[in-house]
Amino acid sequence: MNELIFHQLSKHYGKRCLFTELTLPLIAGQCLLLTGKNGAGKSTLMRILAGLDKPDQGEIQADGKRYSWRAYRPQLQRQILYLHQQPYLFEGSVWDNLAYALTRGLPRSEQHQQIEAIADWAGLTALLMNPAKRLSGGEAQRLAMARALLRKPRALLLDEPTANMDQAARLLTLEMLEDLKRQGLRLMVASHDPDWFQAVTNQHLAL
Amino acid sequence: METISSATWQALQLLLSGDTALWEIILISFRVSILAILLATPPALLMAFMLAFGQFPGRRLLIAIVNTALAIPAVVIGLTLYLLLSRSGPLGEWRLLFTQTAMVLGQIALAFPLLVAMAHTALQAADRRAWETARMLGASRLRAVWTLMYEVRFGLMSALLASFGRIIAEVGASMMLGGNILHYTRNIPTAIALETSKGEFAQGIALGLVLLLLAFALNLLLHYFQGKGQIAA
Repeated sequence: MNELIFHQLSKHYGKRCLFTELTLPLIAGQCLLLTGKNGAGKSTLMRILAGLDKPDQGEIQADGKRYSWRAYRPQLQRQILYLHQQPYLFEGSVWDNLAYALTRGLPRSEQHQQIEAIADWAGLTALLMNPAKRLSGGEAQRLAMARALLRKPRALLLDEPTANMDQAARLLTLEMLEDLKRQGLRLMVASHDPDWFQAVTNQHLAL
Repeated sequence: METISSATWQALQLLLSGDTALWEIILISFRVSILAILLATPPALLMAFMLAFGQFPGRRLLIAIVNTALAIPAVVIGLTLYLLLSRSGPLGEWRLLFTQTAMVLGQIALAFPLLVAMAHTALQAADRRAWETARMLGASRLRAVWTLMYEVRFGLMSALLASFGRIIAEVGASMMLGGNILHYTRNIPTAIALETSKGEFAQGIALGLVLLLLAFALNLLLHYFQGKGQIAA
């Protein structure tokens, strides 16, 4: 009953076909690796799954029912979060960015607790009061992941999450992905560098 | 030369002595222009937002109309509103001609296209990811709009300051719609025009100095906000 499967997804740009009648299961606790050349449609596919861009056609099978993409779009936008290749961080501190994702009206003590817990998980505790826009590439990506997780999504789609990262930051990201899988989150990673993600990959889709 | 220097000296004395008539004119100017900006800004921002992110038929045409409206001289806007508000005009019943309200309307008409055009440019330069990220993180549409506007606040402040600078110094519309009535609709530019025509340079220069100072302050602020905007980007 905890299924999330996309059926018959198609997308064309003019006469160019990015993908057609694609079936794509997002399985709890698994990571799907998405590869393909530049312009193959990796980001477009992820944006469609997250309800940001429209497909030409597509259906979603969720929790035992089948919906059209259009009908299920609001749920997609809530349940599946897409992380841009270069995450967008708001003005303000790391704390402010994390607080943005919390439901408004949450008691202050609860806010503090959630922010501190997720910051600890992402290794951002020491940076909580730092300006978010001055974080390094790796720190920014970790903040974006932590911020997204505060929304308690069913799936997280990461677009080239280790681009512009050094070795240490890449390893840390892999560890975080592994941990998210253990927590039962559905993951999808688009990358030009599949070898890096071999250890966390369960399925592989080449566009 | 002597006339200019003595008139300037008198102008400074007028300004510094707190001359009631002079400061009343300055107050009217600021009151009318600030009110016009306050009223013009919300719809202008809404329109800029629609032009930047909306997808509707006629969008490009609307952008072209706004950009064309930028080039309309103040006096033509004054004339148009004069015809609408004059006794025999379609809005003559409202009896607004030669009132501060008419001046405010004229200045709104002048500020609106500039506000829309500059805010549109600022919003277009905004990173689309800001909107998407806000929405993905559960922000309502209103909160996402606010977030986006905050991200481009320096560009929006520039739009506000430039528009204020335009309307507080314009003479054509204010003269035609306000009628330059002492203690009521005489503002800085119409007073300068009148005093100069009478050969009373001191008050004209004093008011000109106020406008110059204002222009300088606005430019300083504009540079500050534009610089901030570039750093933020």
